[in-house]
Amino acid sequence: MKDQTIIRFEQVTKQYDDDPAVLNEVSFEIERGKFYTLLGPSGCGKTTILRLIAGFIEPSKGKIYINEKIVNDVPANKRQVNTVFQDYALFPHLNVFENVAFGLRIKKLKNNVIEQKVKEALRFVNLEGYENREIREMSGGQRQRVAIARAIVNEPEVILLDEPLSALDLKLRTEMQYELRELQRRLGITFIFVTHDQEEALAMSDEIFVLNNGIIEQSGTPTDIYDEPINRFVADFIGESNIVPGIMVKDFSVQFAGKTFECVDGGFDPNEAVEIVIRPEDLEITKPENGKLRVHVDSQLFRGVHYEISCDDQDGNEWLVHSTRKAIVGEEIGLTFDPEAIHVMRHGETEEEFDKRLEAYEEGNYEN
Amino acid sequence: MKKISKLSTIYLIVMFFILYAPIFYLMFYSFNSGETMYQFESFTLDWYKELFGNTRLLIIVLNTAIIALLSATISTILGVAGALAIYYARRRRVKNTLLSLNNVLIVSPDVIIGASFLILFTMIGIKLGFISVLLAHIAFSVPIVVIMVLPKIEEMNTSMIYAALDLGASRWNVLTKVILPYITPGIFAGFFMALTYSLDDFAVTFFVTGNGFTTLSVEIYSLARRGVSLNINALSSLLFVFTMLLVVGYYFITKRNNRPNRLGVRQ
Amino acid sequence: MKTRSRNIYLIPYVIWIALFVVTPILLVLYYSFFDIDGQFTFENYKKFFTPVYLKMTFSSFWYAFLITVITLFISYPTAYLLTKTKHKQLWLLLIIIPSWINLLLKAYAFIGIFGTYGAANSFLGIIGIGSKQILFTDFSFIFVSVYIFLPFMILPIFNALDELNPSLVDASNDLGASRWTTFQRVIFPLTLDGVKSGCQIVFIPALSLFMLTRLISGNRVITLGTAIEQHFLVTQDWGMGATIAVFLIIAMVLIMVLTGKRKRGIL
Repeated sequence: MKDQTIIRFEQVTKQYDDDPAVLNEVSFEIERGKFYTLLGPSGCGKTTILRLIAGFIEPSKGKIYINEKIVNDVPANKRQVNTVFQDYALFPHLNVFENVAFGLRIKKLKNNVIEQKVKEALRFVNLEGYENREIREMSGGQRQRVAIARAIVNEPEVILLDEPLSALDLKLRTEMQYELRELQRRLGITFIFVTHDQEEALAMSDEIFVLNNGIIEQSGTPTDIYDEPINRFVADFIGESNIVPGIMVKDFSVQFAGKTFECVDGGFDPNEAVEIVIRPEDLEITKPENGKLRVHVDSQLFRGVHYEISCDDQDGNEWLVHSTRKAIVGEEIGLTFDPEAIHVMRHGETEEEFDKRLEAYEEGNYEN
Repeated sequence: MKKISKLSTIYLIVMFFILYAPIFYLMFYSFNSGETMYQFESFTLDWYKELFGNTRLLIIVLNTAIIALLSATISTILGVAGALAIYYARRRRVKNTLLSLNNVLIVSPDVIIGASFLILFTMIGIKLGFISVLLAHIAFSVPIVVIMVLPKIEEMNTSMIYAALDLGASRWNVLTKVILPYITPGIFAGFFMALTYSLDDFAVTFFVTGNGFTTLSVEIYSLARRGVSLNINALSSLLFVFTMLLVVGYYFITKRNNRPNRLGVRQ
Repeated sequence: MKTRSRNIYLIPYVIWIALFVVTPILLVLYYSFFDIDGQFTFENYKKFFTPVYLKMTFSSFWYAFLITVITLFISYPTAYLLTKTKHKQLWLLLIIIPSWINLLLKAYAFIGIFGTYGAANSFLGIIGIGSKQILFTDFSFIFVSVYIFLPFMILPIFNALDELNPSLVDASNDLGASRWTTFQRVIFPLTLDGVKSGCQIVFIPALSLFMLTRLISGNRVITLGTAIEQHFLVTQDWGMGATIAVFLIIAMVLIMVLTGKRKRGIL
C-alpha cells in the first residue's frame, strides 16, 4: 500500500509568531486517486493544511512528504500540485484561453501543444468555445470551471480545492458537486477539497478529515464518520444529533433518560459515564404507551422533506426528531428506536483509542 | 434625493463662474490687438504668431517638455518600485514608516522643497541648471506615482499571486505577467500626474535653476513681474488647451479602468 | 521563499528616500546653525525671536488662517450641493480642472482683472462705487489665494460627504431631528475628516506662498514662504532662510498632528 501514498504529513505544526498553533502536530496520509475532504469550522486549520501542501507557507515543525520526498522548502512554483482558489483568482487582464494557458506558457511549451492542451482542458470542464471570452463576461459557475481547467491543464498529481463552491448559489453548488466528483473519477487524480459544509463533504468524498482547533478529530469514510462519530464535536458538526449523558452499565447495555436500553457497543468499563448519540431520523414517533421514551412536544418546524420536532423528556433532555408525520405541539408522544441507532461515545477518547476499542470488542463479538 | 433649490443652483453657478472666469478672461484677451488686458480693440492672432516666432521661448517650451517627459518616465519607474517595496514590506511598522516618508514631499510646501534641494545640490556640487531641475522634478514626482500605483497593487487579489506561483511562475514571471499588467492603469495615471506636476511646477524649479536654464513657469513669472504682456495670454491659452488634453487623456485612462472616481487635485 | 529575493524594490526607493527626503531636511537643519559668513552660530534662532520675525510669523499665520476659514466657508456648501447634483462626478471634475491649470497663469489673470482698468474696477464703476485700488491690497491677496485653494478644499469634503451613508440622514430625520440639527449632529461630525484634510491642504501652502505675495500683493504681505525665498535667492543669507524653514517644518508637523489622522491618497 505504501506506493499508493502521495502526500504524507508527519507531526506538522504551523504557528505564527507567539499565537497559538494553527495546526498542532498533525499527521496523515493521502492516497493516490481519491477524493479527500478537509472539513471543519472556520479557523480549524483546514485551509492551512491546503496552503502547506501547495507550498504557500512552510511548516513551523514537522515534515511534509510528497511522493516520499520532503518538500518543506520546495516553493509553490516547483510543486506538482495545483490549486483552485476560493475566489478563483483568475487573472482579470487575460482571457479564458490565456488564463488556462498560463502555467503552460511558463513551462514554455510550443504554441500548438498549448492550444491543444487548453482546448482539451476546456472540453473537460464543458467550456468549449469560450476561449476568447473575457473573465468578467463569465458567470460564477463558468469562472469556477475556468479555474478548474487552469489547474488540470498542468496535469498535476494533486488538485487542491479551497472552498471553491462557497461563492455559488445553492442550486449551482449541488450541480457542481456532482460535476467535481465526476471530474475526479474521470481524471483519476487526487482531489483535496476544503469545506465547512458537512453535506458537501458527505456527498462528495471518499475520505473525510474532520478538523477542529488545529487537530484532526476524526478521519474516515463519510458513512463511518456519520454513523460512528468519535466525540461530541464530530457528532454535532456532522449532521444533527441528540446527545445525552448516559451510563454504560455493561457491554451492550446502556442507561440514559432514566431507563436501560439494549445497544451494540462494548469495550467500556462497568458503569462508565458516557455520551449517547441518536440521530433525529432514527427516532420514530408512536403512541406514548408504545414508546421507549415518553416525551412532550415542544415545537415543530416544517422543513420540506420532513418535520423537525423538538421534544422534552422528564429528565429535561431535549430530543430532536425528524419525521414525515406531523406531531401536535403540547401533546405527549412516544419515541422508539433500534438498538443500532444508539451510538455510545467515550469521554476524551482519541481516534486511535477508538479504533483499538472497536477492534477489541468486535473480536470479542466474534468469539461469542 | 431632494431636488436642489433655486438658491443652491445660483450658488453653484456663481462658483463655477468665479472658477472659470479668470481663465477665460485671460484667453479672451490673447486675441486682443491692443496691448492691455482691459481694452479689447479687435481680434488678432498676432500674439500667437509672435509666440511661434520667438526662438528663445520655443527653446524654453522644449526644455520644459523634455524635463517633464524625462522626469515623469524616471519617476514612474522609481515610483512603481517604491509601491512594490511598500506592498512587499511585511511588517506593519516598516510599511507605515515608508508611507510616511513617502508623503513628506507631498505635504511639504514648495518653498521648503526648493530651498532644501538648493542646499543639497550645492553641497554635492551639482551645477544648477538642467540636471538639478531634472533631479528635483524626479524627486518630487516619485511619491505621487507611489500614491497612484499603490492602491492598485493593494486592490489586487493576493490569491492571484499565489495562483501564478501555483502554476509554476517564478517571482520575475509574477511581476511581468501578473502584477505589471494588472497595475498598468495605475502606472499610466501616475505617469500623467508626474507629467503635469513637472509641467506645472514653479517654486521648486525657481529655486534650483541656474542662470542659463529656464522652464515655462519660471519664464511666465519673470514676464508677469514686469507687468501685463499679451504674449503671456497667448501662451496661457495654449497651455490651457494642452492641460485640458492631458486631463481628458488621464480621465479616459482612469475611466476605462472602471473606476472614474478620485481624481487627485494637484498642488 | 518568504524573505529571500523579496524586496529588491526597496533599494532604489530607499536611496530616493535617503537622498531626497531625509538628507534635505537634515541639511536645512544643519544650515540653520550657520551665519552668512559660514560661521557656526545660534544667532539665526535668536534673530527669529526678535519682534520683526515674530510679527512676520504671526501675520503669516493670520493670513493663512483667514484664507483657510474663508475657503472652508465657501467650499462646504459647494461640496454639499455638488453631492446633490445629478452628474456629480462630472461636476466635481469641472471643479477640479482649474486646479490643474498652472498657478502662475491664474495669478497672472488676476493681475489683469484687478488692474486699475481691469474687469473688477469696470464692474465697480457700473454699480456706482467707482474705481478702487484692488491690486496690491490684502483683499486681492486673500481673494486670489482663496480662489486658488478652493478645489483643494472642495475635493476632500466632497469625498467625505459622498461616502456618508444617506440612511444615517434619514435615520436622524426619523428620530425627529430638524435639518439643521441633522447637519450639526450627524453630517458635520461624520465629514470632519474631510474638513480636516481640506484645512491641512490649504493651511500649509498658504503659510508658504511666495509667488502670490510678489505678484498680487506687491510685497505688502510677507509670508514665511516669501521670507525664505528672500533669504535664499535675494540676500543669500541661507542660514536665516534655513532657520525660518525649520520653523515652517515644525509648524507643518504640528498642523498635521493637530488635524489628526490623514487619509492616505488625498493630495
